[in-house]
Amino acid sequence: MLTLSNVSKSFPGVKALSGMQLDVRAGEIHALVGENGAGKSTLTKIIAGVYQPDEGQMEFDGEIAHWATPGAAKVAGIHVIYQEFVLFPHMTVAENIFIGHERRNALGLVDHRQTRRDATELLHRLGVDIDPDRRVVDLSVADQQMVEIAKAMVHRAKLLILDEPTAVISGKEVELLFQRLQALKADGVAIIYISHRLEEIFEICDRVTVLKDGQFVASHSTAEVDRDRLVALMVGRDMKELFPPKADPAAIGAVVLEARNIRAAGRVNGASISLRAGEVTALAGMVGSGRTELALALFGGLEMTSGEVVIGGQSFRQMTPARAIEQGIGLLTEDRKGQGLAILLDVASNITAANLDEISRWGLLDRSREDTIARGEITSYQIACRGPQNPVVTMSGGNQQKVLVSRWARTCRKVLILDEPTRGVDVGAKAEIYRIMREMAAKGVAVLMISSELPEVIGMADRVLVMREGTIGGELTGAEITEEHIMRVVTHQNAA
Amino acid sequence: MTILRPSARRGFLRRNGSQTIVVALLVILMVVGSLVSSRFSTLANFMNILEQSVTLAIVSLGQTLAVLTGGIDLSVGSLISLASVLLSGITNGDPGMVVPAIAIVLGLGILVGLLNAAAVIWLKVHPLIVTLGTGAALQGLTLLYTMGPAGKMPLGFDFWAFGRVLGLPVGAIITVVLFAGTALFLRYTPLGRYIYAVGDDSTGAQLMGLPRAKVLLFVYGFSGFTAALTAVFLVSRFGVGQPYTGANFTLTSITPVVVGGTLLAGGRGGVIGTLLGVYLVSLLNNVLNYMDISSHYQLIVQGLIVIIAVSVYVEKKRKL
Repeated sequence: MLTLSNVSKSFPGVKALSGMQLDVRAGEIHALVGENGAGKSTLTKIIAGVYQPDEGQMEFDGEIAHWATPGAAKVAGIHVIYQEFVLFPHMTVAENIFIGHERRNALGLVDHRQTRRDATELLHRLGVDIDPDRRVVDLSVADQQMVEIAKAMVHRAKLLILDEPTAVISGKEVELLFQRLQALKADGVAIIYISHRLEEIFEICDRVTVLKDGQFVASHSTAEVDRDRLVALMVGRDMKELFPPKADPAAIGAVVLEARNIRAAGRVNGASISLRAGEVTALAGMVGSGRTELALALFGGLEMTSGEVVIGGQSFRQMTPARAIEQGIGLLTEDRKGQGLAILLDVASNITAANLDEISRWGLLDRSREDTIARGEITSYQIACRGPQNPVVTMSGGNQQKVLVSRWARTCRKVLILDEPTRGVDVGAKAEIYRIMREMAAKGVAVLMISSELPEVIGMADRVLVMREGTIGGELTGAEITEEHIMRVVTHQNAA
Repeated sequence: MTILRPSARRGFLRRNGSQTIVVALLVILMVVGSLVSSRFSTLANFMNILEQSVTLAIVSLGQTLAVLTGGIDLSVGSLISLASVLLSGITNGDPGMVVPAIAIVLGLGILVGLLNAAAVIWLKVHPLIVTLGTGAALQGLTLLYTMGPAGKMPLGFDFWAFGRVLGLPVGAIITVVLFAGTALFLRYTPLGRYIYAVGDDSTGAQLMGLPRAKVLLFVYGFSGFTAALTAVFLVSRFGVGQPYTGANFTLTSITPVVVGGTLLAGGRGGVIGTLLGVYLVSLLNNVLNYMDISSHYQLIVQGLIVIIAVSVYVEKKRKL
């Protein structure tokens, strides 16, 4: 279906891809793996017509392909589901599904009833229950993803590319997604599946192509390789070294933050947690169980409708980000680009953003001091960039995340909250982020990690809190922290 | 760093909130007006308001589409001035020249709009700057053509401004037809959908392969057309084109758009809200007239309304 040979692409200062090859057949699910910055996004964008290759050849559906625009690739039958969905938030589900392929009546006018009817049928066929009249902005992320898949079906995609589709969904939603992909595959659609989660690749993909540093490494049938071999191809590093040793129970100190009966945004319904110095606490649970909202409420990013937060001997009925920072709380949000980084600014400004006092003298910013600080952080966290003045927008996800971690590591003295800190981050950067979390804890900071990835929860947490429908549904410590136990608490509500 | 707050408004109010507010304000103004003057709530006065609101309505119609795509057209004021002096200058009292002159200025309006769009699409300059620039250039052209009133219109041309059909001002009927047509166009044609899509998420629209260039060419072409059409009604009203006649329209054409609930960021809103906004502004000016408040104050009030309206309708986001 799709064959790339010897494809190269350079950007000013970077060779993003060189001599890349790829061969994807109709009716197969083909995994694309590699560390962040390995060139997966560039490759995707070339296939989708967003970028044009500098050299090399691309063949699609038996014809030589060179697309000048994403529109041309779409017409040819290529549909990409990006990590950031291409949906129009203010339009309804039905309108989004048929955008560009409007249902029309005999006069050539848009037929809204037909649109709604077809959308309902399509969603039904997908096995999801979404009201076609709802605005996309009001949907959950998992439902938005289903709308994207419905769109791909409308467009009769011959090749469907999914970029980290399971980064934003969990549990049953992943299963549903996999069923949909299997059905599309059975219809003869070629699927390129990009993911950092190797378990998924073995579960659903037929073949896998490994990229490293913008170059082709190998293509294998998933039956031929195992997980360790794949990791070795990607990084040449042993998975077991990923997690640093856990805290000695004796080293865990006093409670530094106590939150009582927090309610916020209708998603947190009376959650109480306490965090101890030196301890890494994981907040597990389904997407939508209120974990992110709880974290935001603790940091003051969401209004608390009731409850209190006790920190530093003071009780707060309402937090604000300024108060939180003053009290020594740091928050790494789930949405790096939207809520964390000043994406167009440089590395140095982003590192110092949460504490400008540190670099201010007489109310003016001391740029050379900022520069020195940034250089120090770049070295100690091994942030790959061209220097303090490198805009973060051009950096890989893993390195962007390191910039954020270093920002908060500088200012937070008591509590560091990380919401899905390794989402969309490669294995190497993951290990680095785990190490930093452990170091912060060793320094006496209480670390709260929200994560949907069980291996990560099990590998990192000294204590696990499971959130369920806006409250804390269970707590696990030490040897209780196993996949089985956590899942039992997570799904407990459905037992009855 | 922004976090969306869960919307407090739900159901009917959320969907039709802006229209409901505008209608409520219209009612309040009517009550105030009838308290201020006994001549206010007469049929003659309402017909007068409809008649006076025609020019504002038509120019705001095109502006609405530009704003829906997340853009803006700041060249309409100067374009109206240029079209006005050209219309009466070319016609110069000759009834036989009326139709060709109208055709010329409408064509010119479309051409200016297409040029605006071309600069936005291919030079990748923000519409704010493009149309500000063309606006200045058009005003310069206008003054090169004439420094004062140019030419004149033949007798009877004032029918378009003051004439009545079935007892209704002819301009008001044309206005309603134009708005209804545009509303249907937005709802029932793919191009109408794409206008919203481009305004909602411009990058997304391109990734989806939607015809962004076509959308912008249409929208700014349409805005140029409605500005030129506004000039036709203005010249009909005054009997002659003047080089600064359109100056105030740039700001005032935006007022009804934002008052009517169209988001300046694009992607949301519509022309019906704009029409309600037009009538709100016209009614307000009328009431202020009856209160003996000078038109200079009316301009101040309009400026404030724009700012307040935008602050009311802005997506409720909370800065971290």
